[in-house]
Amino acid sequence: MAEPLLVVESVNKSFGGLKAVNDVSFRMEQKEVLGLIGPNGAGKTTLLRLLTGILKPDSGSVKFKGKELVGRNIWNIVNLGVACTFQNMRPFRRLPIIANVMVSCLSPRSHGKGEWVKKVENKAMDALEFAGISDMALEKASVLSQGDLKRLEVARAIASDPELLLLDEPFGGLSPAETDLMAKSIRRLHKGGRFGRLHSEGPAMIIVEHKLQQLMKIVDRIIVLNFGTLLAEGTPDEVVNNPQVIEAYLGKGGD
Amino acid sequence: MGLVIFYVKKLFKIFRNEVLVLPSRVVVGLFFIVLLGLPLVTQDPYFIRIIILTSIFAIFAASWDLLSGFTGQMNFGHALFFGVGAYGSAMLNIHFNIPPWATIPMGAIVAVLAGLIVGIPCLRLKHTYLALTTLAFPIILLGIIIALPDISGGELGMTGLKRITESLLGNYYLHVGVFLVLAVIMWEITDSNTGIIFHAIREDELAVKASGINTVFYKLLAFCLSGFFAGIAGGLYAHYMRIAGPSTLGVDQSFTVVIYAIFGGAATIYGPIAAVFILFPLLEVFRLWPEYRMMLFAAVVLVILLYMPEGLIHWIRDKIEKECPRCKIRNIATRKTCRICTANLD
Ligand SMILES: Nc1ncnc2c1ncn2[C@@H]1O[C@H](COP(=O)(O)OP(=O)(O)OP(=O)(O)O)[C@@H](O)[C@H]1O
Ligand SMILES: [Mg+2]
Repeated sequence: MAEPLLVVESVNKSFGGLKAVNDVSFRMEQKEVLGLIGPNGAGKTTLLRLLTGILKPDSGSVKFKGKELVGRNIWNIVNLGVACTFQNMRPFRRLPIIANVMVSCLSPRSHGKGEWVKKVENKAMDALEFAGISDMALEKASVLSQGDLKRLEVARAIASDPELLLLDEPFGGLSPAETDLMAKSIRRLHKGGRFGRLHSEGPAMIIVEHKLQQLMKIVDRIIVLNFGTLLAEGTPDEVVNNPQVIEAYLGKGGD
Repeated sequence: MGLVIFYVKKLFKIFRNEVLVLPSRVVVGLFFIVLLGLPLVTQDPYFIRIIILTSIFAIFAASWDLLSGFTGQMNFGHALFFGVGAYGSAMLNIHFNIPPWATIPMGAIVAVLAGLIVGIPCLRLKHTYLALTTLAFPIILLGIIIALPDISGGELGMTGLKRITESLLGNYYLHVGVFLVLAVIMWEITDSNTGIIFHAIREDELAVKASGINTVFYKLLAFCLSGFFAGIAGGLYAHYMRIAGPSTLGVDQSFTVVIYAIFGGAATIYGPIAAVFILFPLLEVFRLWPEYRMMLFAAVVLVILLYMPEGLIHWIRDKIEKECPRCKIRNIATRKTCRICTANLD
């Protein structure tokens, strides 16, 4: 139990001369919900991509439950239990919404866990139900609104039954009402339980978000990135009162 | 006796409720019946020969669709698999004297290996690079074949292959039967969960990976399956024509199959098949004006693609059937309400 869920040790990633992620280290406990914030271009998305294997770090190590993730394929990492959503949603536009989620349900991890589920359709349907878009299951994904695409991203990610869920701006582009709904879903997911044929142990989460007010209500702890480096780390209260963070967000001499 | 009547009635009911309700299903049913019953009407050797060749190329076109239409791995050198199937089974037949019913599947296995050989370097390539690379493979093989005339017959090809059967009807039912069975198998593959993954890879490969799916495996699977079916087509062709020649690997062979698939509607399996059954006989009709043959062919294809960019079969299907806006079940276009959920169709 003492072993942390995720240990990130001095990962680096540059694009040309730009250090997008600069020597970042942090760790996460089981079931912890971690907020990841920082100004635009701070390297948040890049950091998540390093964790899921979409990008390879230039150096550093990422250990998930004691296993090194650096060097593994994306699908291997997902099947170990790390799932992510895309900030700029990437649905399979010409496929029905349910088929979008079925792809996740067909991954070895999800497929193996739900052997008692007769049909992947049913499991996919329950993931959609959880995300609140089951009524549109048979529509093509191209008809979905921004908010519903975010929901689809979440449905797809939880269908692979993750132990660590990485959400990249789950509230991005959502109306206040939609944001509340999404926040509720995230809390419900974190509590865990059975959603139809979908079983959630209550995954740990890293949530990247600009809507800080909403984020503060969900997370246990926050880390702040600025220009690719870790600026601060602490409880939501500590972080919002940290002068360095205020400066990073508002600029020098901000009021 | 009562039991028999019960089951006959039940069958009839299924037939009425599942097949007769949709024009497209009726068309598919009629297609099977007409193909299987054709020799009852005519046994003209020329006509039979055209249908046999059409069936062979329909398998070939559908196999391209399975790979490129579904997974989006644009293969502009699909003739490679056809040629490998043809030459593979021809060499086994000529040099080792193995009977055709065995050489054709063995040739197809060789084509599966070819699928792996092409597939592995193509895993990292996309779009134009992929298209150009695939285009090169049959040309390379052609070079090897010309360079080794003792084994491969060189530019003249390998002649004197045995047919599986010499009887007209035997050949007809063999080729049409194999075509129908393989077409159903290919359709079933694309209709399965594997088919969903193929579709998804075409849409967004990174998102498929991020869903925990080993895309390398599925892409190679698509190359191998496609190679297998195209290889069967090549083997059937070689043994039916009794020759495996350089034309089986030709660039035009690769391009016509793409034209068939786009013409009928890619990523459907039935689209390319329908296209072959329309265009291949049409090419024969155009032999009446030999000097304009290719021009007429191009004109037909252009007109269709101009007005029906999704392909002919999609276009026709949308004319005769409507999708229910609520439950997405297809209905005959004349209905006002959905046959399942009774929602208004307009
Ligand atoms: N593939 C790439 N190639 C080159 N530069 C990149 C690439 N991806 C990101 N960058 C750059 O790296 C920096 C960090 O980008 P990143 O997307 O991680 O920021 P972010 O914190 O997610 O920002 P936002 O809040 O706007 O989503 C930016 O300056 C961006 O321009
Ligand atoms: Mg970002």
